[in-house]
Amino acid sequence: MSTDIQISIVGSAGDGTIAAGDILKNALAGMGYKIISFDIYPPEIRGFGKCIARMRITTEQAYSLKHKSDVLISLDDSHAIPHANEVRECGAVIYERASIVQLPEGGHISAHIGPGQLPYPVPIRELAEKSTSANRSRNIVVLGFLAGLLDLPDEAFLKAIARKFKRKAEAAAAGEAAYRIGREFAAQTFKLDDVVFGPPVSTVVPGASVEMINGNAAIVRGALDAGIDTFFGYPITPATSIMERLAIDMPKRGGRLLQTEDEISAISAVIGAGFAGARAATSTSGPGLSLMAEMLGMGVIGEVPAVIFVSQRGGPSTGLPTKTEQSDLHMAVFGGHGDAPRIVIAPTNVDGCYRCAGKAFELAEAYQTPVIVLVDLYLSNRYETVVFPARPPFEADVNRKPGKQLAGAPYKRYALGGDSVSPRAIPGEKGTMHVVTGLEHNELGRPSDQGEMHEAMSRKRHEKLQGALKHPDLTVCKRFGDEGAVDVGVISWGSNFGESLEAMLKARGEGIRCAAMKVVMLSPFPTERVAAFLADCKEVLVPELNYQGQFANLLQAHVARPVTRLNRVPGEPMKVEDILEEIRRLAGKKAAQKAA
Amino acid sequence: MGDIKPVYLEEKLKEIEDSGRLDYRSKTLPTWCPGCGYFSIVEAVAASLCELNIPNESAVMVSGIGCSSRFPFFVNSYGMHTLHGRALPVATGVKTANDALTVVVVGGDGDGFAIGGGHVPHAARRNVDITYLLFDNGIYGLTKGQTSPTSAIGFRTPTSPYENPDRPLNPLLMVLSYGASWVGQAYAGRPDHLHRMITQAMAHRGFSYLHILSPCVTFDKTHRTYGNLGMQVRDLPADHDPTDRLAAMREAMDDALPALGLYFREERPTLADALDGLVEKAGGELPGKVAAKPARKTARR
Repeated sequence: MSTDIQISIVGSAGDGTIAAGDILKNALAGMGYKIISFDIYPPEIRGFGKCIARMRITTEQAYSLKHKSDVLISLDDSHAIPHANEVRECGAVIYERASIVQLPEGGHISAHIGPGQLPYPVPIRELAEKSTSANRSRNIVVLGFLAGLLDLPDEAFLKAIARKFKRKAEAAAAGEAAYRIGREFAAQTFKLDDVVFGPPVSTVVPGASVEMINGNAAIVRGALDAGIDTFFGYPITPATSIMERLAIDMPKRGGRLLQTEDEISAISAVIGAGFAGARAATSTSGPGLSLMAEMLGMGVIGEVPAVIFVSQRGGPSTGLPTKTEQSDLHMAVFGGHGDAPRIVIAPTNVDGCYRCAGKAFELAEAYQTPVIVLVDLYLSNRYETVVFPARPPFEADVNRKPGKQLAGAPYKRYALGGDSVSPRAIPGEKGTMHVVTGLEHNELGRPSDQGEMHEAMSRKRHEKLQGALKHPDLTVCKRFGDEGAVDVGVISWGSNFGESLEAMLKARGEGIRCAAMKVVMLSPFPTERVAAFLADCKEVLVPELNYQGQFANLLQAHVARPVTRLNRVPGEPMKVEDILEEIRRLAGKKAAQKAA
Repeated sequence: MGDIKPVYLEEKLKEIEDSGRLDYRSKTLPTWCPGCGYFSIVEAVAASLCELNIPNESAVMVSGIGCSSRFPFFVNSYGMHTLHGRALPVATGVKTANDALTVVVVGGDGDGFAIGGGHVPHAARRNVDITYLLFDNGIYGLTKGQTSPTSAIGFRTPTSPYENPDRPLNPLLMVLSYGASWVGQAYAGRPDHLHRMITQAMAHRGFSYLHILSPCVTFDKTHRTYGNLGMQVRDLPADHDPTDRLAAMREAMDDALPALGLYFREERPTLADALDGLVEKAGGELPGKVAAKPARKTARR
């Protein structure tokens, strides 16, 4: 039997909600299940903000979280009450049996559990105090209870607890005690027959490793596997963990990482290092990308390789620093002054984060240009089970086309013609000295403001990027679902594609002829293939997490045809049901037209 | 008067040619105005590169935007002519990517202390092993004579037509307090001294800052002229101790009569040393240091 279970833990900042979620998903991943998980937490470190740890555990590949959970664990009723109705029929709600304070009417979650939902009152605080003489381990007690309720093996949990507290033996022992007392209590209660784990499906590929990691960690792994030499960055949510992880791992491989004074300095140093021949990168979010725009243009006109990892959050300005959004597409693709073409790739899942991060270094070198890898907070923090190949699928040294330098002939750093990618020399190499300038220049790199030269160089900088659309082993765009003509086609990008795909698959299950396309390369745009897909679709739906429909704008700039836009800015992933509803409506519209 | 010997043009040209410093000048002729102090700076830099025997291909000139920032085009080496104010972080990237390169940053007072002012303290405190030559003419020459952060109070320019209401910055004092490990001052009107200072600055291991006073002969006919500067500049006192930062700061306070010479010097670990230290702490292996061919590092797995 296949498994598809979603568990949510809701608490207040400081309750250990996210920590409990980490232990749970590590335990389940250790057992061999596929995990997809996304936590929500407030911008404040302490205080009483709402924290949600939410995970979907499956044996088949899943693409998004479900709207309804099978089990809800409340560590704080005031935060959990609004989520009681997100538990499915015959699902379970686990909560504190006795409140230590007098609650107003309706303040206890038991008053909000629906008739079809199963209530599991547990003396969480009492058990926590009994196990560790403090109530701080409430989050582990409920995990023990959950393990007992669902009949999951102890070893996986104990291992995950030990891993969580690996530096604190005392805390690990207390955690184990709390787990056991919770599990013991579950033996006294009635079983939850409706939520059942089937056997995990082995996905072992020889030589490969299976890991549950989030998007930012996957980006780090991709960068390391591609041989990153130098990194310059400035902390900003939600990209910071990329820099923090690289700060640990890069020196182990002889790499150099520097925290700069601002984002302008970070991108400037990346451009300098790229000019000097290093594989260099930075990471930032929307506000940082705004500051980097001018130097990005310098990378474009100077034809310097650079990699910029951008994790979007709600904007504009400081916006919503801990909420997800896809509203920096315009900025990533068009940001800055002048005609400044660059490569922008947007992975749609955690595996894609790994591949795009590594490929970005190849692209930057092969096409001599800045490359932006565009993700968002949802993808940065989303955990998925990923199978990593035994050998990194990245080229360590992309041909710089040094060419034959004829004795006495001047070196043309910006030679025109051919595929518009010219031979790139780096400092230290003899006979190829040149100056990289932000001024328009001639083939030698000397300043030139001649109209003809500006035309030729502008053409060169745009045309050379076309090669990126055929770059080896890189998914530029991909179609899923029904082949041939369909009633509804969903086209989407980035983290939001998971929900789009899930909705399309559900619609197919309902008998609607439909397909979905993910577009990974946003610049240069894969116009031909997208146009071919759109030609197959009677109706086109473009769901995305921004107000303006930025991807729809980009799409329509390349392929002239009407589309239906579905735009949401809730700061959270889009609901699969919302996309599905739109697909049904569009399919119905078609059916109604046919009938008329 | 009997001591003065006649100088013959042919002899002088031969002497320059034999010195080898012309190899460090590119075929592109400077675009500066006749009489500009910057001509003597490019000559001095070429002579210093030659004197220190730095291979052309391992020298990198990095600049921002301004009259002085056209400099990389006039030197026969690698170069980057970047954005207004961003030369220092770009140079930090170049040097961090490849220790074997000799990196020289050139720029003006506006580039370094107005738009790029936020980067100077960090390049200095990190002790990036680069040389920063600041060409201070107290004016924005490339945009035709506007006020700069080192323009005198009361100075009249197209953007301060009545008078400049702002006090000028004191870059020497700032850089000394930022923790630069080598700080000196020179004057474009004293080319031999300038050349000696540039050679010392380049030879220093760490962040060296040389403040070069220079007149803008086209847009400043009243304040920082050769005539005025020639009368104002003095030498640092013979007993000045360049290891005494406080004494250096006291000398730098006197901006009415600017003193030329080496203000401060200390030996301390560079940014590269510190980053190599992190590699050791992390238990990593340093990539093989290649001296002559600093070219491409292979991916480290």
